[in-house]
Amino acid sequence: MTINPRFVEKVLTAFIRQELSRFGFKNGILGLSGGLDSAVSASLAVRALGASHVIALILPYGTSFSRDVRDAKELAERFRIRSRVIDIAPMVDAYFSGHPTQRLVLKGNKMARERMSILYDYSEREKALIIGTSNKTELLIGYGTIHGDMACAINPLGDLYKTQIRELGRTLGLPPKILRKKPTAGLWPGQTDEDEIGMSYAEVDRILYHLVDLRETRREIAGRSIDRRKVERIASLIRSSEFKRKLPPIAKISVRSVGHDFLYPYDRDR
Amino acid sequence: MKIALAQIAPALGNIEKNLELHVRAVEKARRKKADLIVFPELSLTGYSLRDLVEETALDPRSDPVFKKLKAASRSLDIVVGFVEESPRERGLLYNSAAYLSRGAILHIHRKVVLPTYGMFEEGKIFARGKDLRTFAARQGRTGLMICRDFLQAGNGYLLQAGGAEMIIVISAAPGRGSTEGTSFASSRMWELMGEALSFFSSSFVVYCNRVGFEEGIAFAGGSFVFGPDGVLLARCPSLDEDLKILEIRPGVVRSARRRMHFHKEDRPEVVLEGLRRIAQNHDD
Repeated sequence: MTINPRFVEKVLTAFIRQELSRFGFKNGILGLSGGLDSAVSASLAVRALGASHVIALILPYGTSFSRDVRDAKELAERFRIRSRVIDIAPMVDAYFSGHPTQRLVLKGNKMARERMSILYDYSEREKALIIGTSNKTELLIGYGTIHGDMACAINPLGDLYKTQIRELGRTLGLPPKILRKKPTAGLWPGQTDEDEIGMSYAEVDRILYHLVDLRETRREIAGRSIDRRKVERIASLIRSSEFKRKLPPIAKISVRSVGHDFLYPYDRDR
Repeated sequence: MKIALAQIAPALGNIEKNLELHVRAVEKARRKKADLIVFPELSLTGYSLRDLVEETALDPRSDPVFKKLKAASRSLDIVVGFVEESPRERGLLYNSAAYLSRGAILHIHRKVVLPTYGMFEEGKIFARGKDLRTFAARQGRTGLMICRDFLQAGNGYLLQAGGAEMIIVISAAPGRGSTEGTSFASSRMWELMGEALSFFSSSFVVYCNRVGFEEGIAFAGGSFVFGPDGVLLARCPSLDEDLKILEIRPGVVRSARRRMHFHKEDRPEVVLEGLRRIAQNHDD
């Protein structure tokens, strides 16, 4: 689980720089929530592209998260990047006024997709590629909205666990209050990821590391004095979220089909 | 003798651009009086080719790209990686390495071990090479391997038993595993083999790996040269492009073999008999 944050920083800044230039972009754009992951992404993007080539969108729902908005604005100032605050409440409320619901997951998904929709709109307006902020923990347990916060053009943090990102953030010199902040999907005030998942990121990451990186069996991991029920729960979250990590399957009819045997690298040099 | 390690980042599927990259590096190495320049695996095409493999395949005996490289090899020897399609085996594509010298192809090695599991899919697109041979070059008998060939101990042994004094490995090895160190964990694996093989075969081991990203995968760089006594003579940085030129004395192979008699004591006929028995009877 140990990383050398300086080396990881070098890999990820080179990745961001090379991917953007390969696709013909100079600018990167990302959603800045005031949380840790997007702060780390923004810091890496600034190091890779220069502050004048990074744009941050701050996309709160109404005024219920004013502290996070303030933190996001402070980060944008600190990084000296352009930022813009767009309240998504009018769009989200307009939809739910016609289709009311009390289910928080529906509201959360809609918010995540509203943010995605605005990011893609600004991506085209600003000719800026969207830099994703999903981490390995979320991707593996499916803690994200498909076509919402998981949507992006490149994802520098996707192979780092949450606990590793905190370590990277520390090396990148992020403010202590960002490093200490309880991770939250921001669906309602007081919500935290760890309450919802039912265990701490330290526990989740440890189980994932043994399960995924080291390819240990669930029985072997439970033998490491980790609660077997927690291991089972994580394993089942991984299985049930596979669809979020894949493109949709295409029904094969012809002799050569997209996704099956029409297989080009997306990175072809132009 | 001067060797140049061209730790480049080839453009995926763009032979024209890569040829330019090669010509520039060769010219730089020539100005610095290098006698041999080594490029990475699939240096003319990039690595993650998939269906692009069809349009990047070429015949080194007739292709204009190779005419230019052969012409460049009049001033110094060149090892280059490419997708090979020979007119005698239409439809079979090989992951190959060519050793060019004095305007001609001195040797072609076709990759024998094609990793096909997890993130690797070489067995789906390439045909398998069948042999590892040594050949006479200016520095003495020389053998070529491509990336994963090097990690199967038997292949290094074949070149060793074939009398190689220099083993040249071209590579497109991805970086895998984060550590506390300043490179990927996987870089250690390549040096481990380089150190062991150079020492126990009393030969030079020249390893050239690429850098750059393809599909989110970082190629790790860290190219190196070990002397015939297992001592590290040069190492390129991880991740960054580099053209490292170092001076070696091919004659030290002799003194290494006078000190340690691994070469003289080798018994290829015993190995052969043992392997024949094992290959014929897997249950043995």
